[in-house]
Amino acid sequence: MLELKNVTFEVPDADSDGENPHRKTIVNDVSFTFETGGFYAITGPNGSGKTSLAKLIMGINPLTSGKIVLDGKDISDLPIHERSNSGIVYGFQHPARFKGTTFRDLLSIAAGTDDEDRLVRLIARVGVCSLDFLDKPVDSKLSGGEIKKIELATVIARNPKVAIYDEPDTGIDLWTIGPMVDLLKREQKENNTTTIVVSHNRAFLEAADTLLLIRKGRIAYDGGLEGAMPMLEDLSVCTFSDKCEGENDVRCYR
Amino acid sequence: MLDATDKQILKEVADLEGIPKGAYNIRKNGKLLGREVSANINITTNEKGDGIIIDIKPGTKNESVHIPVILSQAGLHDTVYNTFIIGEDADVTIVAGCGIHCGGKESEGHSGIHEFQIKKGARVRYVEKHVAIGDGTGRRILNPTTKVFMEENAYAEMELTQLGGVDEARRVNEAVLGAGAALLMTERVMTEKDQMAESKNDIALAGTDSKANVISRSVLKNDSVQDFYVNLTAKAKCYGHIECDAIIMDNGKNQTVPALRALHPDAEMTHEASIGKIANDQLMKLMSLGLDYDAAVNRIIQGFLR
Ligand SMILES: Nc1ncnc2c1ncn2[C@@H]1O[C@H](COP(=O)(O)OP(=O)(O)O)[C@@H](O)[C@H]1O
Ligand SMILES: [Mg+2]
Repeated sequence: MLELKNVTFEVPDADSDGENPHRKTIVNDVSFTFETGGFYAITGPNGSGKTSLAKLIMGINPLTSGKIVLDGKDISDLPIHERSNSGIVYGFQHPARFKGTTFRDLLSIAAGTDDEDRLVRLIARVGVCSLDFLDKPVDSKLSGGEIKKIELATVIARNPKVAIYDEPDTGIDLWTIGPMVDLLKREQKENNTTTIVVSHNRAFLEAADTLLLIRKGRIAYDGGLEGAMPMLEDLSVCTFSDKCEGENDVRCYR
Repeated sequence: MLDATDKQILKEVADLEGIPKGAYNIRKNGKLLGREVSANINITTNEKGDGIIIDIKPGTKNESVHIPVILSQAGLHDTVYNTFIIGEDADVTIVAGCGIHCGGKESEGHSGIHEFQIKKGARVRYVEKHVAIGDGTGRRILNPTTKVFMEENAYAEMELTQLGGVDEARRVNEAVLGAGAALLMTERVMTEKDQMAESKNDIALAGTDSKANVISRSVLKNDSVQDFYVNLTAKAKCYGHIECDAIIMDNGKNQTVPALRALHPDAEMTHEASIGKIANDQLMKLMSLGLDYDAAVNRIIQGFLR
């Protein structure tokens, strides 16, 4: 069980003129409990604080106030690697690109072994990554989709208690999204992984037991997808697409 | 014939456990320690007696030659002039390298001038490692010069590595590429304490469709200094690329000066250069996989210098 208790993240901000000058609140007093083995989707407009919240959980962003408790243990003050070793792993929205470091390196760090057989079995389990990736440097030559698959594999390789995937579907082709959802579902079921996916993709929103809608650093809604529909539609930029795109094969590129 | 220090040095510079198989020439403290030739690879002392000539017969395939240098005598500054002649269509690996063991207060140094004549269609992989070990306080100095002449369709892959221990290094690399020749040169240098390393590279793309790719990876620890210069000159329709990256860990100082000169309208040349600290997102990633800060730094540097 992962509990967020009044979690707040502020950053210095010269322009702010609100009640709290020189501070900008990115995540605002969020409290929520992720039950062990649950599948959660987090959605919300760009800039609403989804990534910031995920990074607070991983320890990459420092908490301004509040508490994070994992299975009854307060982890608020633990550094990143100790949180990771307690079972939390975050798959980055924009994964780091290295020079020289290969997928094999990352996978062996994640899995804690460089045994060839075990790495090959891991890749088979993840499925979406090809075996020829293994000795590729994780550098700027990889496509957006390739690096996201590698990122996902490194998270799974740690057998986390809590896995957070930040927009895992960016750059991924349409045909791989289904298998990716199935993979995360399977990991959730077989290993009882608490799974949190930040996404706008309907496939992930439908796969989740619980949907969290973040707006301006707060949880604006939590519950089933059905109940969130009116709010989700409200958030879309334009509500005239039915009328304007109509039946004439016109698309809106706004 | 080899003492424990020699063995350690051979292991570090040439990955050798004892005497190598195939052709070799081991030089220790300015003198010949051992030599073996093969049916296709001949090694002779040059006329002036200040180096060796390694002559590889045309068509020689999948053979290797090891020519390590061991230096363990205080105050000695050894200079050699070695010539490699790689015959047409040969395909060989050359492992060179110099290991200094310094046990005293006096400085020790080695200047190796290596000239390569790579004939038509020949392929060579040249691996050179420089190391310095020992508890002595004397400065360890290595000043290698590499001159490469590549004929038509010759191919060379050169890996030049110096990972710590060497106090002063002044390297000069020169290459002239004929038509269709391709050169991939990778230099990896790690300096620490108050060490300095300088590398000056001059590559001429002289023949049509020649290709050169120069890669430099530098890591500067403590107060060390590294300067890297590369001039790529295109004299024909050709392709050239320079990629230099330096990571500054502490108070190191780095200068990276890549220069492209096109003297032909069909030259295609590019360069990328970066100097900076270890990227934060790389550290965050490895820490999120369970490594503490120091272990994460080490893994990133290890990958970078590989
Ligand atoms: N360290 C930071 N310093 C300043 N602003 C930040 C920082 N981290 C996030 N922000 C800002 O917080 C807002 C929310 O960002 P983010 O969490 O990435 O949103 P989302 O993932 O929902 O798109 C953005 O406006 C972003 O620029
Ligand atoms: Mg985001």
